[in-house]
Amino acid sequence: MMFVLRMAVRETRASWRRLLFFFVCIAVGVAAIVALRSVIQSVRGVVNSEARALVGADVVISTTRDWPDEARQKIERHLATAGAFARTETTETPTMVRPADPATRIAKVAELRAVQAMYPLYGTILLQGGQTYSHSLLEQHGALVRPELLSALQLKVGDQIAVGQTMFTIRGVIAREPGGGPGGFSLGPRIYIDYADLASTGLLSFGSRAQRLMFVRVPDSRVADLMTALRRDLRQDFINSRSYRSREDQVGRDFDRAEDYLSLVGLVIVILGGIAVSSVTRVFILQKIRSIAVLKCIGARSAQIITVYILQVLVLGLAGSLLGVAIARAAVAAIPLALASSSTSILTEAHYGVTWSAAAQGIAIGVLVSLLFSVVPLLQVRFIKPSLLLRDETARRRRDWLGMVALVVVSLALVAVTAWQASSLNVGIVVCAGFAGLAFVLQLAGRGLVAAVAPLANAKSFPLRHAVLHLSRPGNQTRVILLAVGLGAFFIVGIRSLQASLLEEFSIQSSDASPDMFLLDIQRGQAGAVRAFLGDPSHGSGPFQLIPVLRARVVGVSGREQNLNGADQVREKGVSLGREFTLTYRDHLEPNEKVIEGAFWNSPSTEPEVSVERQIAERARLHVGDTMQFDILGRTIEPRITSIRNVEWRESRNGGFVFVFRPGPLDQAPQTYVSPLKGPTDPVARGQFQHDLVERFPNVSVIDFHDVVERIRDVMSKVTLAITVVGGLVLFSGALILIGAVAMTKFQRVYEAAVFKTLGANTRAIARMLFFEYGVLGSLAGVIGSLGAVVLTWAVSRYALEIPWRIFVTEHVAGVILTAILVAAIGVFSSLDVLRNKPLATLRAE
Amino acid sequence: MIELRDVSKTVTSGSEPLTILHPLTLQIPHGQFVAIVGPSGSGKSTLLGLIAGLDAPSSGSVLIDTVDITKLDEDRLAKLRGEKIGFVFQFFHLIPSLTAYENVAVPMEIAGVTDVRSRTERLLEEVGLTGRSHHYPSQLSGGEQQRVALARALANNPPIVLADEPTGNLDSANGRHIMELLRSIHAARGTTIVLVTHDAELAAMADARLVLRDGRVTENTLIHREPRSHDERLPQPTP
Repeated sequence: MMFVLRMAVRETRASWRRLLFFFVCIAVGVAAIVALRSVIQSVRGVVNSEARALVGADVVISTTRDWPDEARQKIERHLATAGAFARTETTETPTMVRPADPATRIAKVAELRAVQAMYPLYGTILLQGGQTYSHSLLEQHGALVRPELLSALQLKVGDQIAVGQTMFTIRGVIAREPGGGPGGFSLGPRIYIDYADLASTGLLSFGSRAQRLMFVRVPDSRVADLMTALRRDLRQDFINSRSYRSREDQVGRDFDRAEDYLSLVGLVIVILGGIAVSSVTRVFILQKIRSIAVLKCIGARSAQIITVYILQVLVLGLAGSLLGVAIARAAVAAIPLALASSSTSILTEAHYGVTWSAAAQGIAIGVLVSLLFSVVPLLQVRFIKPSLLLRDETARRRRDWLGMVALVVVSLALVAVTAWQASSLNVGIVVCAGFAGLAFVLQLAGRGLVAAVAPLANAKSFPLRHAVLHLSRPGNQTRVILLAVGLGAFFIVGIRSLQASLLEEFSIQSSDASPDMFLLDIQRGQAGAVRAFLGDPSHGSGPFQLIPVLRARVVGVSGREQNLNGADQVREKGVSLGREFTLTYRDHLEPNEKVIEGAFWNSPSTEPEVSVERQIAERARLHVGDTMQFDILGRTIEPRITSIRNVEWRESRNGGFVFVFRPGPLDQAPQTYVSPLKGPTDPVARGQFQHDLVERFPNVSVIDFHDVVERIRDVMSKVTLAITVVGGLVLFSGALILIGAVAMTKFQRVYEAAVFKTLGANTRAIARMLFFEYGVLGSLAGVIGSLGAVVLTWAVSRYALEIPWRIFVTEHVAGVILTAILVAAIGVFSSLDVLRNKPLATLRAE
Repeated sequence: MIELRDVSKTVTSGSEPLTILHPLTLQIPHGQFVAIVGPSGSGKSTLLGLIAGLDAPSSGSVLIDTVDITKLDEDRLAKLRGEKIGFVFQFFHLIPSLTAYENVAVPMEIAGVTDVRSRTERLLEEVGLTGRSHHYPSQLSGGEQQRVALARALANNPPIVLADEPTGNLDSANGRHIMELLRSIHAARGTTIVLVTHDAELAAMADARLVLRDGRVTENTLIHREPRSHDERLPQPTP
């Protein structure tokens, strides 16, 4: 044992520099795992401890309609039983707001929240500038707004802002509010007003999308019972309830998932490092072959020698993992500094630090992966014969059963490690299979490309000829470099192309003549005036439509395959029928619609008939001839399905309705209008158009697709940045593997360079040879990554995003060129001593 | 005693079988200093490798102190080599990542000897390298490297030392130095030494000669005699 330990120390001392880069790869992956897990665990801690403050209550009861009297009585009863001791109500609705000053001609959509004095029951509204929130700030037409609304409307505290028909004075700026967790998509920035002032705005007209919420405080022991009772009794009334615990559970699940999936990213990097370790171990053993033969010659057994190298791998794997934890610590420590600018986020409340469990997991994975990937190549030690010291001979390779068993065990262990990290055996298997598949495809592609450039081995240029030959020299690292660098290029080029593709899709949609603005909540009585307003060319808007809409819920189906009775059954078994739908009626099909079953009407009728969109019909198993029951504001209507329509959702700005009714029965039902239209192109004219419209019709909301595209662009650039960072890490690992591979095979190059120099090649020729070799290697890796990205964008465009597939030649060409330059630069720079060494000394040493 | 019974070695060269060593029977008694001579390709090194168990014969058996080593597996062979055979190669074959001291110490560490340090220092002193013990092979001259290799071969005080052209890669002064060391070891310890060389002058320094040509023995001056007592001046390995 003494021998094994001492040899392990000596071997590590001798070779750690050469092996360092591979273990830095392990360190990068471990750092990613540890940092991600630690951050998520920290955030999760604060979110959990603040769950009540985030929800703002123990229980929240909400509805999108006015509280029905009967339901209200039920709620009162249940709250009394549960011993509720505090309660407050709010109403929330998206609406247009604009500066009161008529000279500023802008209007923006905002999320209005009207609150009572008790709000919030938990947590607090934080205001900027150290101002303390109290409800008195809102009383007598006061308003609190988010800073982004101020800047969008060019307002400041003290100015007047118009909400609906009423003016409010801005009395403070919201830094943070309850009920706003991290993330989440909203139509616009928040504005608070007093509950008592809401009526005066005139926003609660018929059909508005206001949501009424009731925040309740009950003893903790009664929360569960209250929830059960509310859910049981109020479902029919379309009233939802949730508790801080359901939020906690949901958040808990989200965090679990986020933690597990994100740490898989780290694991992928660690595995990449592992592949590099495997490849380098193979070369390492090849280089150590004589030393191993000597050890066997002087009495060492194979098992002892393998143990020496396993110990060495353990030490380096552990060192790499510890380095990873240190990197993670530094990165995590930097988070509060990075967050300082957005000091209002709940994220700033977390205490960021590397958690023990994350560090332990990271270290365990780093060491395990290093070990697993080196075992199989280390088994080759058994085949090294001491007789090679007397005579150079290659031993005949026998079938290595032990090696095969080891391979199987190692593969299973890797699946186990991945499954452990993802907390799911299925994910473990899928990720490992996916990785193996990807590695296999990249290998094949690598082999194919190396074969494709093989004819260059006959090129006239001496450096190019040898550069190509070197790609397939014995002990070459071509495949592992192609895999590592190619994978990094794949991530980056792929995600950049996807982003470009999505943005182009949006900009095409917003640049053509199709509608780019959407008016909501136009009251029936306003329809004529709105039509006149939009038709007036002085307002600068293009073609428009006024579409009547009604909100309804499906409460029953009786049909060939589907029989549902009541809202409960629809919710439970009706697949996607359980939500609230917006429906319309008309006598024609829109250009993006096509009837695929039954026939569409072209005239009104007194009998109710409905046409159903294909996907919903398939999912809910609805057929022509079935009868459905809709609850439209308390009135039940029973139309027969007379057609199934295919809707091209990509072009749905004029006609994206799941249910279209035949004109007639709904004509006199309470309804509002929406209007898709082409707004003015000039941004100033656009702002003015919205302002003028809202000034005339204060209850009408305008959704500006240009703003939406901006928001999507913003979200997308963050996602892209995140994935680019991951790709960057993979590419960085690829670069480390490359440097390591160059260092590992340098002895061969130094010798060859010495021979070439003796034969008359000058340093420039050798430098060019190196440059070509790595340039070709980098180009191949770039091409592999780029091809992978083409497949990725095609699949994601076609199946996930359902947008047309586009190729962005610039992204791909830039990807290949940059990868080639990167690899060539790293390759040449890490081979500088090949150029510097004097040939005689090298040849003597051989 | 080393005993070879009908030992032959055939390898495949291309698709043709090639006999490097024709069936050979011989005995080398304890304490002999034997030189195996012959031109390149005559089978000298092959014979040495077979005696050391570095290679397996195509037929026949090799006995070291009555143990048939052709029947041992790799690990038992390694153990036997560690205890009974020291080997000196033409190209030294030191482990480049270890210092001179460590190269000499390794066989003792493998054998589990306790007083490695003092024994290693004494061996390095014996070959005249006291001041060079912490140098790596690349920092030593050829002669010095071969002396380290010799000290390593003697590490476990083996009864047999096999030397394959130990001076073949050295200048004449260094070559002579190595030969003197071999002779003094033989004289002092009574170690059986089998030396492969194609240098007639060196071969003349041995007690007996075995001449090989094309894989056959053409001359054998080995005489069976009582072994000299194994010198006990150096401490025996204490496993």
